[in-house]
Amino acid sequence: MSGPPGWAAVAGALARLRSWYRSIVHRDATERAIREEFEQHIALHTERLVREGLAPDAAARQARVAFGHAESHREDARASRGLRWYDQLRVSALDVKLGLRMLAKHPVISVAAVLALAVGIPVGLAPSHIAAAVEAPLPGDPAHRIRAIRYWDPAAVAVAATTTSEFAYWSRELRSFSALAAFRASPIQVALDDGRPEPLEAAQVSAATFAVLGVVPQRGRALHPDDFVPGAAPVVLIGAQVWRTRFASDPAVVGRVIRVGRELSTVVGVMPEGFRFPSYAQLWLPMRLDATAQAGGGATVQIVGRLAQGHTAEQAQAELERLVPPLTVDASDAERRARLRPEVVPFGLLFMGLPAGGLDAMPEYYLAQLLMLVVLLVACGNVAMLVFAQTATRFKEIAVRSALGASRTRIVSQIFAETFLLALLSAALGVFLVDWALGHVNLAAIGGQTAMPYWLTLRVTSGTVVRAVLLATLSATAAGVIPAIGITGRAVYQHMRGGSGVRFGRLTGVLVVADIAVAVAAVGLSLAIVRQVTDMQGLAAAAGIPAADYLAVEFRPSDAAATDSGRSARALVTALGAEPGVRGVAVANALPLMEQPSRPIEVAGGDAEATGAQEWVRTVAADVDYFRGLGQVVLQGRDFDRNDLEGQDRHVIVNTAFVTQLLGGREPIGARLRFAARGAAAASAWHEIVGVVPHLGINAVNAERGAAVYVPTALDAITPMHVALHVGAAPMRLGPRVREIAQAVAPDLYMASPTALTEFRQGDWYLVLGLGGGLSVLAFVLVALAASGLFAMLSLTVTERTREIGIRAALGASPRVLVWTVLRRSLLQIGLGAALGLPLAAYFVSTVVGESAASPLWALLIATGLAFGIVLLVAAVSCAVPMRRVLAIEASIAMRAEA
Amino acid sequence: MATQAELLPGNLDLVILKAISLGDVHGYGVLLRIEQISHGAILVQQGALYPALYRLEHRGLISSTWGTSENNRRAKYYRLTALGEREFRQQRTSWTRLADAIALALTATPQEV
Repeated sequence: MSGPPGWAAVAGALARLRSWYRSIVHRDATERAIREEFEQHIALHTERLVREGLAPDAAARQARVAFGHAESHREDARASRGLRWYDQLRVSALDVKLGLRMLAKHPVISVAAVLALAVGIPVGLAPSHIAAAVEAPLPGDPAHRIRAIRYWDPAAVAVAATTTSEFAYWSRELRSFSALAAFRASPIQVALDDGRPEPLEAAQVSAATFAVLGVVPQRGRALHPDDFVPGAAPVVLIGAQVWRTRFASDPAVVGRVIRVGRELSTVVGVMPEGFRFPSYAQLWLPMRLDATAQAGGGATVQIVGRLAQGHTAEQAQAELERLVPPLTVDASDAERRARLRPEVVPFGLLFMGLPAGGLDAMPEYYLAQLLMLVVLLVACGNVAMLVFAQTATRFKEIAVRSALGASRTRIVSQIFAETFLLALLSAALGVFLVDWALGHVNLAAIGGQTAMPYWLTLRVTSGTVVRAVLLATLSATAAGVIPAIGITGRAVYQHMRGGSGVRFGRLTGVLVVADIAVAVAAVGLSLAIVRQVTDMQGLAAAAGIPAADYLAVEFRPSDAAATDSGRSARALVTALGAEPGVRGVAVANALPLMEQPSRPIEVAGGDAEATGAQEWVRTVAADVDYFRGLGQVVLQGRDFDRNDLEGQDRHVIVNTAFVTQLLGGREPIGARLRFAARGAAAASAWHEIVGVVPHLGINAVNAERGAAVYVPTALDAITPMHVALHVGAAPMRLGPRVREIAQAVAPDLYMASPTALTEFRQGDWYLVLGLGGGLSVLAFVLVALAASGLFAMLSLTVTERTREIGIRAALGASPRVLVWTVLRRSLLQIGLGAALGLPLAAYFVSTVVGESAASPLWALLIATGLAFGIVLLVAAVSCAVPMRRVLAIEASIAMRAEA
Repeated sequence: MATQAELLPGNLDLVILKAISLGDVHGYGVLLRIEQISHGAILVQQGALYPALYRLEHRGLISSTWGTSENNRRAKYYRLTALGEREFRQQRTSWTRLADAIALALTATPQEV
């Protein structure tokens, strides 16, 4: 019989697959069938022997002998199906039981290992967890049908504005969305029944917004199309929190009238608890789209849409790329459109300004992921040492099992099962703790916000659990399989022949050295940064400003379309300056100690040509009276005056750090700089430096490194407008008066809560705080890991050298000699690690923190020295317990036990 | 009875395929049939039989079904598959060719050199 060519190979392969399927999926049934077949065979042979004249008992016995060892045949039978590997790797309930027993038998080692992985696994999980959280669907949209539409500027790596006319075009043309909504979020002054104005986050939304989001008010009604008609009576929807806190959950709130900005608006509904779309809003107002907006023009809005039934985000993206909104006659619009890419993205990416792929698309993400995995790897390395030490105490058991026929793979997979159990326990503990912490820690406050975006939840999801199990498996492989391979095989036979078998090899030595080195470096760096954070309290003084005497207030136009905000700003500044008790008024888009925006700058060479070198420098748009308002004396050159705003020549003032860093100390007055081209924006004209001021608290981490350029700017062009009022001691007392003045002179300006200038914190400050906190935890973990690794290594060394120590003790060796004998190698490793870690710590500290007035060299040296001391102390303590065991070894008992 | 012969490694599969090719048979029957057709010259180790049967079944050369044996017990019967028949023919041809060649070589006389 023969079939078409190749059929034999196909038929053979199918037969093998079928056989494997039966053996793996129906393993128990297959095993039963094998046993039954063997019994049948022995019964038939017995009957034959009986027929040949043997007594039944003798026949049965002889048949069994002739058949041989049924268990071995059964194993051979499974092996003949190519399933030996599967059987050996298969983790049974017995393995789990043994694993649990081992955990209980060595509680100290188990706790150390569980803690190491309980920190390592969540740390390894963090980046992917955050990446997933950012891209998660909005609340109430489990199918992820709501997507944002935006323009992305690849050159600037930033979100570019979309306008009402583009919104109108896409709403009309896009078929892959069932509806689109436009919104614009901005704070607004709201006066409730008590008449007290209060700034609240508000969102102007288009008619379809609530339908797109699939949210209905818990009370009253949503916004009605009539509300959007020009001239309609103003209405407002309020958030559950406002209803609760400002209206005492009044059931009759619907219909009440409140002042929102300049208008009296009727409350028409209360939104459900937790709803704060787009992120923090507590009020929702109808957005009146400008119907006459020219193509390509109109106000800036953000856009979301609900995908139509049967359409995917990919199809929507393709359609969006095909549809090109009509252009204006303005040539720059065509150029802008050619540069931008329309995108359909998860809502979080619009809000966070992340590229379309989310965090996954950013190289920084992979760097963070890599760093976190290194921490996990260090944890795994230490757990591997613990497993190694623990397994070494079971040499006899492993040797006996090997002698009874257990293969190396079988023993390795059992040790893996034990470590896996440990890793799972650690992952569960770690994930539970992180979830608990995320539920109880005010992340918004840490991030310098009053609230987190309502859609962002960092709580643990099923995806996080799956990733945790995956990391636990990888950790168990690294921490369990590698030492298990090292300890089985040849080492077992050496042990059976009477040798010790186990030796900590070069790898563990390197691990200890690396552990200590990394711990010293991390402790040094975190100490220096923590010191820096405490030092920053004194930054105000270092900035040369009596910040405690200043009140800082932020103003911004409460409506983007307002046109008279410039006049209001001028009136406001004049009124504030005229107020008794106000000694000076300084206005800029960022005050000293705050976060100033950076721009790329080119400095002209000697012949006024660009050198081509760009550097990002903090750039402050300042009123011409800014330095006088701050009581600052210009160190060199002159201060700004009115002419700087009007003349053709462009002038700037720089700070001392700019002179040092960008000019290399050369004469600043008369030097020229310009703002470099960025994305499509061309380079600016050349600006001449006319004056030099002190550093003025530009860089929170290192004042001496905070180079800054001050550009004279007309008041109406400064947004946001930060005003510093020099009022003397207890500046907050003037807060209510400032609000009154603002209400009277500039009601169209939104005024944030007044703050003492000392309370301002730069973004850097939070970065340093987060970095300091994170590093401190990491340093603690690394030191604990190094200590547990050392502890495990020394414990094993003592165990395996018990006999030798006993003999030495019997021969009269002093305790000091005995301790030295055991400790020598570890001390060498600790010393080597610390010696390597010290310059590493010094390097990190000097690079990241740097020497400054706040952190002089001696402070850095103390930080690194302290780190060295802490790690040595912990290392010494971790040696103490094994050393006590050394000194407790009785010669006779040791020798009897090992004989 | 002829003197018993040692099976060369790899030849057990061929002999088992031959025994099964003569008709459906259970495991113990395979043993008896080999003994019978080789006139007692080939004695298969009982322990080696089953791994070989499972290997052949795994490769798709034989298939098995449960039936009732001559003593009214439940027994697993083996049968040659189409793939097995093909394999058996190939192995038999190959073996016969080798055996003939070796026989020819071993019966050579000095005159033939």
